[in-house]
Amino acid sequence: MEKRVQRDMGALAVTLDYDAELMLRVKDGDGASFGVLLEKHRTSVVHFLYRMVQNYAVAEELAQEVFLRVYRSRESYEASAKFTTWLFRIATHLALNALRDGKNEKFQERLDDESPDMPARQVSDARPTVEQKMVYQVRLDEVRRAVATLPEKQRAAVLMHKYEEMEYSQIAKVLTCSESAVKSLLFRAYETLRARLAHMA
Amino acid sequence: MLLEYTAGRLAPGEAAALEAHLESCARCREFARSQKMVWQALEAWEAEPVSLDFDRRLFARIEQAPLSWWARLTGQVMHHAVPVAAAAGVMILAGLMLERPAVTPVAPPQESAQVETLGPEQVQSALDDMQMLRDFNHLVRADSAEPRM
Repeated sequence: MEKRVQRDMGALAVTLDYDAELMLRVKDGDGASFGVLLEKHRTSVVHFLYRMVQNYAVAEELAQEVFLRVYRSRESYEASAKFTTWLFRIATHLALNALRDGKNEKFQERLDDESPDMPARQVSDARPTVEQKMVYQVRLDEVRRAVATLPEKQRAAVLMHKYEEMEYSQIAKVLTCSESAVKSLLFRAYETLRARLAHMA
Repeated sequence: MLLEYTAGRLAPGEAAALEAHLESCARCREFARSQKMVWQALEAWEAEPVSLDFDRRLFARIEQAPLSWWARLTGQVMHHAVPVAAAAGVMILAGLMLERPAVTPVAPPQESAQVETLGPEQVQSALDDMQMLRDFNHLVRADSAEPRM
């Protein structure tokens, strides 16, 4: 199996990340490596999807589908790009489909009414006062609304840039567009956010 | 570059050069200020913890998930390959054993072989022997038919 990994790596003439090596091991039947990948990327995928669709139940359902597809695609996996690029391409694809299918159509209602199935939101201050909690909640809702108003691709680009700390080149590969297109998406997205969130300064 | 600067992702040298520019450019300074504010607002959107049973549900789906037609086909073929091959082997072996008598010619009786290999001379000799036996019988009957004195 090690030889297989080395041969694939050599053939591609690229320096593979450790995740891609793990995925090649999954391809060779090593289920434990899939567990390592799941442990490593579970949270970031769920959080990305949650911020995309802004519905916790839908986000977890989509994240399950992402990892299910990763596992079921193991036989055809080729380490031609970073593993996270492939992973977030699947996640973005599913999120965009879900948004278009209206799976999160209850989202707008939940922004107005406190969602009963939403986990308790975490507040940075260990012992916030009631007033601080209310201020935080208002600011959080404003941020969520502002992000939700972004066009889907702009939203995905901002979330990958901000929270996943991806470079323009990787975002471009995830969204299958050029780097200049990504810069344009980000510029317009942040411009919108600056306009909507300027009063929070 | 200003986006990367406000994200804190510029190299120290680049950041220092940009900060020097911001000292003299009010427009870029305002852009950087408002962008930093957006960045901080996004920072406040803290992530929710993933459900504790996420992995359990995922592995349950992995075990139950229907496969694609190709994966199902190849999976079934691979899954049944060994027993199918074993069954085929047994059937072939049984077939060979059943066919064996027909394939191997049955040895004919020794006599038939001799008859089949009799030459004309032998046949003529046998006929001569039979004629001689008839003549002998006739002589014996003639002797027994004469009146005794």
